[in-house]
Amino acid sequence: MSGPSPVKLMSASGQLGYGVLKPAFERGLRHEPHMIGADMGSVDPGPAYLGMGKMATDPGMTRRDLTMLLEGARSLGVPLIIGTAGTAGAAPHLDAVLAIVRDIAAERGLSFKLASIRADIPKDRVLRAQRAGELSPLGAFPAASEADIQESPYIVAQMDEAPMVAALEAGADVVIAGRACDTAIYTTVAMMRGHGRGLATHMAKIIECASLCCDPGGRDSMLATLDAEGFTLDCMNPDRHATPTSVAAHALYEQGDPFTVREPSGELDLSKAVYTALDEHRVRVSGASWRDTTPSLKLEAAAPAGFRSVFFAGTSDPRVIARIDQIWTEVRAVVADLTGEDANAFLRARFYGLNGVVNWPAPPDPLPREIGILVECIAPTREQAKSVITVTKQYFLHHGFPGRLSTAGNLAFPFTPPEVEVGPAWRFSLHHVMQVADAAELQALFPITYEDL
Amino acid sequence: MAENLKKPRPLADVARIVRSKNAGPGLLTIDLFFNTDSDYSAAIAAEGLQAEAVAARYGLSANRLRVIPYPLARAIKITMDRLITAGSPGDNDVYGAQQHALLLDVDIPEGDTP
Repeated sequence: MSGPSPVKLMSASGQLGYGVLKPAFERGLRHEPHMIGADMGSVDPGPAYLGMGKMATDPGMTRRDLTMLLEGARSLGVPLIIGTAGTAGAAPHLDAVLAIVRDIAAERGLSFKLASIRADIPKDRVLRAQRAGELSPLGAFPAASEADIQESPYIVAQMDEAPMVAALEAGADVVIAGRACDTAIYTTVAMMRGHGRGLATHMAKIIECASLCCDPGGRDSMLATLDAEGFTLDCMNPDRHATPTSVAAHALYEQGDPFTVREPSGELDLSKAVYTALDEHRVRVSGASWRDTTPSLKLEAAAPAGFRSVFFAGTSDPRVIARIDQIWTEVRAVVADLTGEDANAFLRARFYGLNGVVNWPAPPDPLPREIGILVECIAPTREQAKSVITVTKQYFLHHGFPGRLSTAGNLAFPFTPPEVEVGPAWRFSLHHVMQVADAAELQALFPITYEDL
Repeated sequence: MAENLKKPRPLADVARIVRSKNAGPGLLTIDLFFNTDSDYSAAIAAEGLQAEAVAARYGLSANRLRVIPYPLARAIKITMDRLITAGSPGDNDVYGAQQHALLLDVDIPEGDTP
């Protein structure tokens, strides 16, 4: 076979910090992969973690997972690459993960060269792009206003593999990246060893979710072996099998289009991808191709949307359930009158059993015998939210209506106090593509810091 | 023809998997997987799974939704704009993982015997 020699890449986890499964990880180490990777984040959990600068995962479990990966990678002497540190990959997320990594190194007596790569994009740079019309919303997302940018505590962009390659070339053993493309974690070592971007990106796209591409899907370590013609997928849990159907189906997962995957520097074309069974457990994949496009940056940010207070209650009264929309309209009017707030703008109720999850075109017939009610107030200040939700709770409980049977109260509260202050509410403020001047600017936006631990 | 006399079945009884999830915070994507080529073809042809009909169920105009057949996995992907960005005030489903239910009673005409 001509071309680059085969490279083995191991994806330890698609969501580091929720518990890496040890048996499959250790089986993977015995295959002596050329690198170990794990993704730590995504936009899936919503805007709050990015806005607050906090990790979604439990610190203890995150530390356990990082310890396992650091010790595994150091025992083999191969690079460890962690993408989108700390759930959202902004400065506080990256710093929190770096603190854990330093602590583990000291505690376990591990010594290595650590590279950290920041993915925070300066506000003035984004404002400049916004004013120059160089900021394009993705999909149905609205155009960005100056306020969207100013109000967002953290703005991150997804890095591709370029800064990770630079870090490894500078001798880093461990790379902890801020916000990064999921694929970059795995394309880095593949491309440094001379492999083409199309196959490398397709491989990376599949293994970044670990064994989710298997049948049955799971969270075990996944090994990919990439050569010049294609790649082989091998799940490190013998009970989860990569099959042509399970792997092809994974191209659909959380993707708007199964044939085209957009990345910062181009597009992955999967329309000619071929999936073949090697045996009952492993699949061979080939056929992906790559098209370069003008490099751009995908930005993400979250901005505060007010303060949230809620209460949860239930009702088992058929007359309350039958006229719940009417009751809610009347309660809102009373609350607006009493609190002087625009309750229609602040208050929202979800009636679980009727329409809490999906906007059904019509109520169920027959109506359910119980419904759950989540009332939420998002107001400009914490005090307003608390005040409105407290008044709402009491008037909902005692709201009278014609034909009412249960005159002592409409609601059952499962605990007290029923009002809960949730804290700041968040919204995604940026989900945009920003044009960049050139490769030099792109490089400067993702600065690398080295430490010898 | 005999198959014209057969009763349509709801999607929930025909599909192997019906799942929904965000594809980024602004898009919702629904995947339907089928066990047999005949079920898959019947679903592709079903009136209730054409873009206009699906868009109507989700309260969208048809130009904000795409239906993409994916024969490699006997699957149909439906990708649509989210009316509320994931996690913004008013959203009911941050991950978008429970928005498939509106499709479960779509009639799928009986296909040829596999």
